[in-house]
Amino acid sequence: MASFTTSSVYIHVIEDVINKVRDEFIKSGGAGEAVLNELQGIWEMKMLQAGVILGPIDRSSGQNQPSTVSAITPVHDLNVPYEGTEEYETPTADMLFPPTPLQTPVPTPFPGSADGSMYNIPTGSSDYPTPGNDSGSNTDVKGGRPSPHMQPPSPWPNQRTPLSVDVNVAYVEGREEVDRATSHQPLTQDFFMMSSGKRKREDFAAQYQNGGYIPQQDGSGDSTSEVTKAEGSKGGNFLDRRDSATTAKTKAFAHLARSSTKIPQLDGPIPDPYDDMLSTPNIYNYQGVVNEDYNVVNTPAPNDLQAATPAPVPQNDTGDDDDDEPLNEDDDDDEDDLDDVDQGEELNTQHLVLAQFDKVTRTKSRWKCTLKDGIMHINNKDVLFNKATGEFDF
Amino acid sequence: MATFELYRRSTIGMCLTETLDEMVSSSTLSPELAIQVLVQFDKSMTEALESQVKSKVSIKGHLHTYRFCDNVWTFILQDALFKNEDSQENVGRVKIVACDSKLLSQ
Repeated sequence: MASFTTSSVYIHVIEDVINKVRDEFIKSGGAGEAVLNELQGIWEMKMLQAGVILGPIDRSSGQNQPSTVSAITPVHDLNVPYEGTEEYETPTADMLFPPTPLQTPVPTPFPGSADGSMYNIPTGSSDYPTPGNDSGSNTDVKGGRPSPHMQPPSPWPNQRTPLSVDVNVAYVEGREEVDRATSHQPLTQDFFMMSSGKRKREDFAAQYQNGGYIPQQDGSGDSTSEVTKAEGSKGGNFLDRRDSATTAKTKAFAHLARSSTKIPQLDGPIPDPYDDMLSTPNIYNYQGVVNEDYNVVNTPAPNDLQAATPAPVPQNDTGDDDDDEPLNEDDDDDEDDLDDVDQGEELNTQHLVLAQFDKVTRTKSRWKCTLKDGIMHINNKDVLFNKATGEFDF
Repeated sequence: MATFELYRRSTIGMCLTETLDEMVSSSTLSPELAIQVLVQFDKSMTEALESQVKSKVSIKGHLHTYRFCDNVWTFILQDALFKNEDSQENVGRVKIVACDSKLLSQ
């Protein structure tokens, strides 16, 4: 019973929160009600998966239509789009739910449905089968409780489970895609880095040398610079051969490129390399665009295997800095993910009481405390209490 | 009304936090709005506990650690026994985190 009341209180809290932030979502050019519904859906799904709320959620408070029928029928609606048009016709007819066809074509369940009533459809259906996957208790409750849900279509239950899985999958994938979309650049970059960290530094250096050489060599062509890259220390000689007039300068710049100490001296007369110097770190630190260049340079990297030798030390340092940031970010992410998992497991196994204290007293080693308004998570069950008294010996 | 962020660590709070995190990181939701939702959760959870929950619990156990910092009591109990009206639970190790209820009424 305790868990049942916990479940109902939780559901009440969810609805209360959703209802009270609705204004914020709708106004202020905010996220809109569809997002709010998505929020509620994911929240409830997680709660179901955590096993702290039970069975199909009663919409007694009814921000949507109060009738229970509407709560039930939506289940079909959700399934319909997934199953395809053939299946979909049947439930629609059964449901006497005219708007349904409008929803059905919408490929994804959540984003498409805008208003609350529609939204609850996916919630109900996804929630409904989920307990079966998670915990027996939920399943039991499900079986016992909602006769209306069980009634309508005998064929549906079979299809529901896979369907609900689809719902979840769709969720996750969709979200991941968005994530990838936002952080696409770094990911790609990291990938390159991880695959060939060393090479990249050299590329970096090589690229840098390019920057240094560019004012002199650009006319003759990129191939020159690539050779320079590839041949490394020999590059200087090669350049000398091709451009006897600028031999002295070339050498100077070769040194330039390799030793940062000389750069500031020579930079003055020639603006381009100086600009490169200045802009490079900023670009690599903050801008994604140049990262593309980075990768582009990286792509021919296999040719640069020979270039292992020339990589100049000071430039390696800068390269390291740039390398480290994205790499570390990635590492952090991984660790965070692991941490999250760990925390999740801990939270499931760790027993925790969150409450307010009215009074805490101690007499010698005997402690007494009175707590109120608490949430206990004990033995994987959530129990709420209004008052609690504690007696501890230290 | 003052609220505690305490309950965000509960299952329902964690579920909400995770949800908001996901939606913010997928740019579905603005961080500001997510914060507002969390604040509303603090209020709603506190109100629900006050108005809807009537059960009483007694806790006994060996006090392993106590700490009172920033008006928050933290107890770590060993071999704790939780009793309410219809059941009791034994727990090897449990942490109790309690904020000062007087802070809410102020």
